Amino acid sequence: MGLEIDNLWSIEIAGQEFWITETIVNTWFIMLLLIVVAIITRIKLRKFKRVPTGFQNAIEAVVEIFDNFVKNTLGEKLSYVAPWFFMVFMFLLWSALLSVFGLRAPTADWATTFAFAFVSLILMFYMGVKHQKGNYLKTFFEPHFIFFPMNLIGELAKPVSLSFRLFGNMLSGTIILTLYYALTPVFIQFGIPSLLHAFFDVIIGALQTYIFVILSLMYVKTAAD
Amino acid sequence: MQDPLAFVIAIAHIAAALALLNGVTTTFGQAKIAAQALESIARQPEAEDSIRTTMFVGLALSETSGIYGLLIAIIMLFANPLVTILINHLG
Repeated sequence: MGLEIDNLWSIEIAGQEFWITETIVNTWFIMLLLIVVAIITRIKLRKFKRVPTGFQNAIEAVVEIFDNFVKNTLGEKLSYVAPWFFMVFMFLLWSALLSVFGLRAPTADWATTFAFAFVSLILMFYMGVKHQKGNYLKTFFEPHFIFFPMNLIGELAKPVSLSFRLFGNMLSGTIILTLYYALTPVFIQFGIPSLLHAFFDVIIGALQTYIFVILSLMYVKTAAD
Repeated sequence: MQDPLAFVIAIAHIAAALALLNGVTTTFGQAKIAAQALESIARQPEAEDSIRTTMFVGLALSETSGIYGLLIAIIMLFANPLVTILINHLG
C-alpha cells in the first residue's frame, strides 16, 4: 500500500506504451473472483429447488434484496436495469473490501470511478431517450433555448461529482492507513489497524457504494420519468 | 526569499491546510441533516425507510464540497503544477 499507484509492467503495442498498473491487476483480481462466484452459482443452480435451502437460499436472498431495492427506487416499469447495478454494487463493494487484505483498492484510482460514473451517464441518456423520446431532449432547452449550454454542463457535471465522491472517500482511507503504517513502530501495527480498516474500508466503503448506486438510480429515474 | 522553490512549496502546504478547512462547514451541514432526519423519524416512525434513503442522498450531496477540498489539498501536496512550472523556469 502506498500513496502512488505502482506501475507493474509496461508493454509496447504499435509504438505506444501501455502501463499495467496496480489498479488494473487488482481489477482483474476482483473480476476473477466475481466470475468464479457466478460460475459456481450457475453450476449449483443446475439442480434448482422450488423451496430453496442452503447455498441457493443465500444467493436468492441477496439478489431479491437488491431487486426490491431497485424496484422501490425506480418503480416496477424501469426495474429491468437491476442486474447492471447489482454488478456495479458488487464490484465497488469488493474493491473497497480488497484494501482490508492490504491490496490497493481499484476505486482509489480516479480512472476506475470515472469509468463507472461515465457508464451511468450514458445509461441515463439512453433511458431518457428510450422512455421519454423527444420530451427528454426538450428538457435541455428548458425554459428557453439559450439555457442549452448551462443544462448540458449541469448534466456533464453529474459523473464528475459522482466519481470524485467515491474516489475521494477511498483515497482518504488509503492515505490515512498508509500514514499509520509509515509513522508507527512495528509493535503496534498488529490488531489496532484492524479498527481503522473496519471503519475506513468496510463502513465507509459500503456506505459510499450504496450512495454511488442510489445516486445513479436517481439520475436514471429523473431522466426516464 | 532566498530560495523561491522552498517558498512556493511552503505556500502550497498552507493552501492545502486552508482547503481542508471547509470540512468545518461541511460537518455542520451534515449534522443538521442528520438531526432533522432523526426528528422526522421520531415524529413518524413508519416513514423511517424513505427518510433514511433521503437522508443518505442528502448527506452524500453535501459531502461533495468536503471531498473537493480534500482533492484540492491532495493536488497541492502531491501533484502541484506550479512547482513543476517553477522547476522548469529555474532550469
